[in-house]
Amino acid sequence: MSVLHMSRGAIAATVLLAQGAVVSAQDTIKVGVITDRVASAKFYAEPVTRGVELGAKVLNDNGGVLGKKIELIIEDDQNKPDVSAAKARKLVDDGVVAIISNTGSPATQQAQTVSLETKTLHLTPANSADTLTTQLADPYFFQTGPLASIQLATLMAYTKSRGFKEVAIVRDNSVLSQSFADSFRKGLEKAGIKIALEEVIPQGATSAIANLQKVRAAKVDAILQAGVLGPEMLQFFRAYQQLGMKEPILGSYNLSIPAYLTMAKDLMDGVVFVDAFDINKPEAKAFTQAFVKEYSEQPSSLPAYGWDGIRLIAQAVTKAGSLDKEKLREAMASTTNFVGAIGAKGTSWGFRDGKRTGFDPQGAVVRIIKDNQHGPVVYAGQN
Amino acid sequence: MADLLELVVSATASGCIYALVALAYLLILRPTSVINFAVGEWVATGAFIGVAVQTPLAWPGLEGPYWLALLAVPAILGVLGWLVDVLTVRPLIRRGASATSPILALLGVLVIFREGLTIVFGADPLPSPPPFGFKRIAFGPFAGVSQQFLIIAATFVLFAATWLFFERTVWGRALEAVALNRRAAALMGINLRRVTTFAFVSGAAVAGLAGLLMSPLTSAHYLMGLPLAIQGFTALVIGGVGRIEGALLGGLVLAFVEQFGARYLPIPSGLTLGFPFVLLMVFLFLRPSGLIAPREAR
Repeated sequence: MSVLHMSRGAIAATVLLAQGAVVSAQDTIKVGVITDRVASAKFYAEPVTRGVELGAKVLNDNGGVLGKKIELIIEDDQNKPDVSAAKARKLVDDGVVAIISNTGSPATQQAQTVSLETKTLHLTPANSADTLTTQLADPYFFQTGPLASIQLATLMAYTKSRGFKEVAIVRDNSVLSQSFADSFRKGLEKAGIKIALEEVIPQGATSAIANLQKVRAAKVDAILQAGVLGPEMLQFFRAYQQLGMKEPILGSYNLSIPAYLTMAKDLMDGVVFVDAFDINKPEAKAFTQAFVKEYSEQPSSLPAYGWDGIRLIAQAVTKAGSLDKEKLREAMASTTNFVGAIGAKGTSWGFRDGKRTGFDPQGAVVRIIKDNQHGPVVYAGQN
Repeated sequence: MADLLELVVSATASGCIYALVALAYLLILRPTSVINFAVGEWVATGAFIGVAVQTPLAWPGLEGPYWLALLAVPAILGVLGWLVDVLTVRPLIRRGASATSPILALLGVLVIFREGLTIVFGADPLPSPPPFGFKRIAFGPFAGVSQQFLIIAATFVLFAATWLFFERTVWGRALEAVALNRRAAALMGINLRRVTTFAFVSGAAVAGLAGLLMSPLTSAHYLMGLPLAIQGFTALVIGGVGRIEGALLGGLVLAFVEQFGARYLPIPSGLTLGFPFVLLMVFLFLRPSGLIAPREAR
């Protein structure tokens, strides 16, 4: 056999393989996922992605969507905005019909430039930044995570309901913690609650006794915990226990990250924090059952965001009846009354009045930590 | 008053950690004239190794006792310190590199250690088990948690042992001679290579012990090194680079200023972040020799 014949044979085989690959690709619905596997958003991005994986598996086990299996293509953006945009473009090149962003809000913001340009359905089920749908007019981008303003309003409503009149804010010196503290300050001032003092536990601190002694001396009604750095939060909880303090601690949704329960084991019981997950809601129970069955462990709220996200995309695909990008966008935009595992009882998601933020303003809850676990809901909504 | 005495315990424990880091700097700096900013990462490494020994992290199903961690951490850190000397510092000295070259090379070592820790142990902080729990205990009017008292006791024992070594043994005298006049010491037959090796091994071991002692209070995490490197260096400058006692005094002064300032000064607590830098500048400008003058200046 001549070299020419061999080459022709190889080309023919390659063409056949390529055709096979195309046929194979058409047998699945590709959904891209952008997560953070190594950097600062890993804490929450990875559990959310786990929920997406579980949701896709359960959907596939039940026959898939439009008779096709969902195929996830997962990319790591290291929570870097520029990398996130590059990964979004790669996913589009790979043929995904939708992108789920589970990474940090700034990275998701940057990835939107790609979804807008390529007209690809783009959803963030967990990001909470209020500006994600306002900074860029991207009709293909949707947000179902509880907005920071909604969570803050719920926490403030709870603070007011407890009759707290004077509180202390404790934070660390990270940018995110400062941002949480700023939000708390504005919310508290609006609610007419006095801030007696604001304490900063610096990164690298070896003790928070001095800070907590000051808080104790101020005789405040409650402490708003705006810290995000694990070791410094550990210092806070250790000092709180060591000084025998009893002031109620209220935390941001950052405390819904389960890693803190491991790090500050036995130190956080009684702390309340904002979340969007009610373990007694039927949809949350169904999610929990599926999670326990698959992973043999109790889930935190974070995977539920991903679980809801992939189900919402599946619903949009079913509603559109095809993988046409414009039809998918229209189907997603017309979503109303979607009841997921996330959200307080009796609330639902929907992109009403042309808005692309779907979380119900009454959907956030306040939960209490009990026995080293995220416990039951103690308050819901903003009333 | 109870607040004040409790803060004394907290500040003393923190000061002891700074003092141990300062001692790690000092053990290397005195005989070699090399400032090793990687000591902070060695503290972090000691903390992680301590967690690995005491929890099933390294060997699933096996949890070693605290005394094993007390032996393993200085031993492993000593080997790592020796490797750093052999692979980075010694080749530079052999080739006659400038005095700043080892310092820059050790900044590279800092990055290697930090990235290595994230690769091996991950980016999440790891809780470190305290040997005596976290019960609040009191010695007379002084109250704190058991780990704080352990840190204080261990630090004073270590400093006393180090002081005795330098003051009462031939090896210690030899090291001190090198610190005072390297060339003259070499002419007297002291093996400078061995002295350098001893400096890096002992410095790394002390830094590792600091990490092991501190991690139950803070957890073991890959970002813990740099702030400690700054605080330890500040403690060294405050106490003076010439004497072992200076490291201890400098650590205690820094921690007391930090914590009493945060507690009692009528300023926003965010401003207390600058205390170490302010102290560093004040001492460098006004008293560069530190609180305890070096032996040759007495």
